[in-house]
Amino acid sequence: MSRTLGGRATSITAVALAATLVAACGGGGGGAGDGKIKLSIGIFSDFGYTTLIKEYQAAHPDIEIEQRTVKMEQHHTQLATQLAGGRGAADIVAIEEGNIAQFRQSKDKFVNLADHGAKELEGQWAAWKWNQGTTDGGNFVLGLGTDMGSLALCYRRDLFEAAGLPTDRDAVGELWPTWDEYLKVADTFTRATPDVKFVDTAQNVYKAILDQTEEGYFAKADDSFIGGENDKVEQAFTLAASLGEKKQTGALAPFSQDWNVALKQASFATTTCPAWALALIKAGAGDEAAGKWDVAAAPGGGGNWGGSFLAVPKQTEHPGEAYELAKWLTAPEQQKRIFKETGNLPSEPAAYQDPEVTATTNEYFNGAPVGKIFGNSAESLKPTYRGTKDAKVTPVFNNALSRVETGKQSTSDAFDEAVREARDAAK
Amino acid sequence: MIAPFFVVFGVFGLYPLLHTAWVSLHDWQLIDGDQGFTGLANYAELLSDGHFWNALGNTVSLFLLSTIPQLFAALGLATLLDRGLRGRAFWRAGVLLPNVISVAAVALVFAQLFGRDFGVVNALLGVVGVDPVDWRAETWASHLAISSMVVWRWTGYNALIYLAAMQSVPKDMYESAMLDGASRLRVFWSITVPSIRPTILFTVIVSTIGGMQLFVEPQLFDPGGTATGTGGDDRQFQTLVMYLYEKGFRLFDAGYSSAIAWVLFLVILVVAVVNFAVARRIASKG
Repeated sequence: MSRTLGGRATSITAVALAATLVAACGGGGGGAGDGKIKLSIGIFSDFGYTTLIKEYQAAHPDIEIEQRTVKMEQHHTQLATQLAGGRGAADIVAIEEGNIAQFRQSKDKFVNLADHGAKELEGQWAAWKWNQGTTDGGNFVLGLGTDMGSLALCYRRDLFEAAGLPTDRDAVGELWPTWDEYLKVADTFTRATPDVKFVDTAQNVYKAILDQTEEGYFAKADDSFIGGENDKVEQAFTLAASLGEKKQTGALAPFSQDWNVALKQASFATTTCPAWALALIKAGAGDEAAGKWDVAAAPGGGGNWGGSFLAVPKQTEHPGEAYELAKWLTAPEQQKRIFKETGNLPSEPAAYQDPEVTATTNEYFNGAPVGKIFGNSAESLKPTYRGTKDAKVTPVFNNALSRVETGKQSTSDAFDEAVREARDAAK
Repeated sequence: MIAPFFVVFGVFGLYPLLHTAWVSLHDWQLIDGDQGFTGLANYAELLSDGHFWNALGNTVSLFLLSTIPQLFAALGLATLLDRGLRGRAFWRAGVLLPNVISVAAVALVFAQLFGRDFGVVNALLGVVGVDPVDWRAETWASHLAISSMVVWRWTGYNALIYLAAMQSVPKDMYESAMLDGASRLRVFWSITVPSIRPTILFTVIVSTIGGMQLFVEPQLFDPGGTATGTGGDDRQFQTLVMYLYEKGFRLFDAGYSSAIAWVLFLVILVVAVVNFAVARRIASKG
């Protein structure tokens, strides 16, 4: 009896499966068989869109939205190949701030959002954010800004206490008004607790300092490579590398698997944290570290680290609908909600100055008033100029710092080699 | 009846090959496409490119470190399996297991084994009093770690191929050798190896091609992942294909990347021919 039943069940499953397959093929081949417009949105990490998308679909019954998420490093490579191939890209794609300059060069592969009325929205964003997403003197709108990455510094209260340092976030912030003083705190910390690393990686410190300068690797005036001449670059490099020379860093690749393990093992005490990094720290350190991490003001004031844009590739079949969705997702009302849900800081003053946002605290980070901290940081933020080839040059300097951390090269040798390689890469 | 084959080969084999050659003669950007014909400029640049030679050196080193132990281990394993073992089918299926597991999963596990701070290998080394090794930072250590991944994945696969060949060696040859009082080792070198010579040649060629195209294992071993694609902070384990990927898909220089692809093709051809000649000599000596 059971045998027959089993046999029946199998054949029913098989038929059902076949039917599903046929249905799936029909759906895929026929496009919008049910008369719905299908929009896809390609993002990396967590943009906080899941609930918003459901809402949008409910309000627009004729639209069906598919969210595609891949890892950040794959996302931009994949997008480049899709643009090159002329197909496969999502209807709306996220582009990170470090990469947008590169894609600005290929603007003919994207819809000019100004044609759909994007220029009217200009006033919504912080001026620098808007400018990063546009080109041709503001006439070509490539992307609408999502979040921004104003900077703070996260630290572990228990490790600070063990080292005899203050644990109160205001007092901690006052310990390091500048990066030089941050180095002094590192020395104090290492003397007290030599077995714990003060900071996760020199790379992040380096990037944070560099993000507080007006120009980095490329000249604002003509986009030429100035990494070798710009004192700020060498200063930032030397400062970050000195932490590595003194073995005060964990020499970890930022946000890697090892980085997560080190977070879990509490093997470092501080890390630079733009608003979006809070979620990564929480995920890596896990629930057992709840309340142990806290957020303090970063040395040297605000800086911008990360933050993305939503763009619409020209290959989309529904540029109008895609623009409407991107516009809605980046509107202040939605940005505010994303901040409360994921911690991604809005890039629109109306959103980050909103009392609801500034009053937000983060329980995991010992109830830190993240709304106030990141909002303040956003106010004092001086955006760095990103050259077209920024994404090509950045890894060269990161690798050089890593060589100092692992003791392979002296700071000055590593820097000279990086400048030489970067000149090649920027050719 | 032959025609369909040539059509398929033309579309999926010949066309990409020729198109790559065409792209390699241009300044070709990945997104924006053709920026002008440059002749052999990409190739000329390649020959004076230190990173290219570094990648070639790493590839050869990784190839030697992984292929040689792998093929010898596979021969030994196949000989063991060829004997009347209890539970034969189980062992034969078992050796193929590492090859069935996704390479991404393998790389993930090995990356943890060879972790610097909390890795199992360093913990074991610590037990016998050896200082922890920074497996990703040191050149030789990273090559060893990556090779171990490759050996683990492919030894069983090659062993099964050898086993299949060994099964067709006439048993009476072994019997008469035993009667003459030959040792097991002597039998192995004088009868088994020469008898399966064509199979050894086949695995040498296939392993050469695989070894020269090594990509996923080192790429996933790189803590920076595809974000840098440089194979460590000093390019200490960047292979040729990783360099090709870095140029083409991170720096978007499709022309240069295609030139690397073609040079790689030629390198594989040369190495395969050399290997073929060497393997034939070794195999025929016995």
